[in-house]
Amino acid sequence: MAFEYEKYLRMDKIPHLWCPGCGIGVVLKAMLRSLENVGWEKNDIAFVSGIGCTSRAPGYIDCNTLHTTHGRALTFATGIKMAKPDKHVVVFSGDGDATAIGGNHFIHACRRNIDMTLVVVNNNTYGMTGGQHSPTTPIGYKTSTTVYGNIDPTFDICMLAKAAGASYVARATVNKGKVLEKYITKGLENKGFSVIVATANCHTQFGRKNKMGDPISSRKWIADREIPLEKAREMKADELNDVIITGEFITDEQERTRWENYNHPIHEYTDAYKKIIEKAQKK
Amino acid sequence: MSNKINIPENYERWEAEIKIGKKEDTVTIGYWRDGCKGCGICADICPKKVWEIIEAKDKWNGQVVRVIDATNCIKCMLCEVHCPDFCIKIY
Repeated sequence: MAFEYEKYLRMDKIPHLWCPGCGIGVVLKAMLRSLENVGWEKNDIAFVSGIGCTSRAPGYIDCNTLHTTHGRALTFATGIKMAKPDKHVVVFSGDGDATAIGGNHFIHACRRNIDMTLVVVNNNTYGMTGGQHSPTTPIGYKTSTTVYGNIDPTFDICMLAKAAGASYVARATVNKGKVLEKYITKGLENKGFSVIVATANCHTQFGRKNKMGDPISSRKWIADREIPLEKAREMKADELNDVIITGEFITDEQERTRWENYNHPIHEYTDAYKKIIEKAQKK
Repeated sequence: MSNKINIPENYERWEAEIKIGKKEDTVTIGYWRDGCKGCGICADICPKKVWEIIEAKDKWNGQVVRVIDATNCIKCMLCEVHCPDFCIKIY
């Protein structure tokens, strides 16, 4: 049965502005199906985004939405969550928005383990502003600011979130929309900070300079580099060159055991803050 | 989700009787031509070659898709899930 996306969309804004075949549309669809899976009221959800191609996504969703400044989506989202802890906050971010300009906000939101869900659409470039290289552009690939090939090592967003203390971290590619839906659903249900990285194609800006200027070849490039996490664990480090490792990097149970090993209490930020309020009012 | 077919009037429609394994079923494919940007992902991802890319002069890259043979459809929903433009509905 076809899913009725109209229920969650502002239909007067559709068709959207993304390029033909853009992966963000697939991620947006996975998000809408996940909303149906968790069964939240539309009025209880706030979508927050920064600047960029991905950050246009909340404009099409018929919930409470907020389009903020570049990189500061998580900051505004933290504010919403602290003011209304019983509401659900979801953040849409691109790779440049979340890891470059908003990199500091990203690691600190992970550290606080505040109950929000962050969907990072990683298309390896700054698509909206002309295809400059981003912290996730792989080594050797050409962009408009690295015309002879990129030499900057990349961020692994999942590893970064895991190390910083997020309680659910997963990565999937746009070629597997159903897997993406499963991970986003788990992330929404998780009490704590959840990071879902969706590796998407940007054939218009990134692909065109690397001989894959159409959506089909760009999506194939992603599919060819994809390695499941279980398989990657058995491989040697030098074999894991220019690959996308997909799977669930950290689930809630794993997180709890990890922190127990460090003899460190794990808490969700809004819960901890509620306890502080109670403590202060008691005197 | 209800079993009701909910395809808007501005969608192109194809209906067919299909066989999934030994089970008999019917399929209704809806396609919104005005919203389609002609990326061709549906034609590429379909395992049964239900979709075909055709020429269209009114689109930016000169192509749209159409259903060539709806009886081949196995309702795997890959095109419906991966269409970035909300243009395909399958019931």
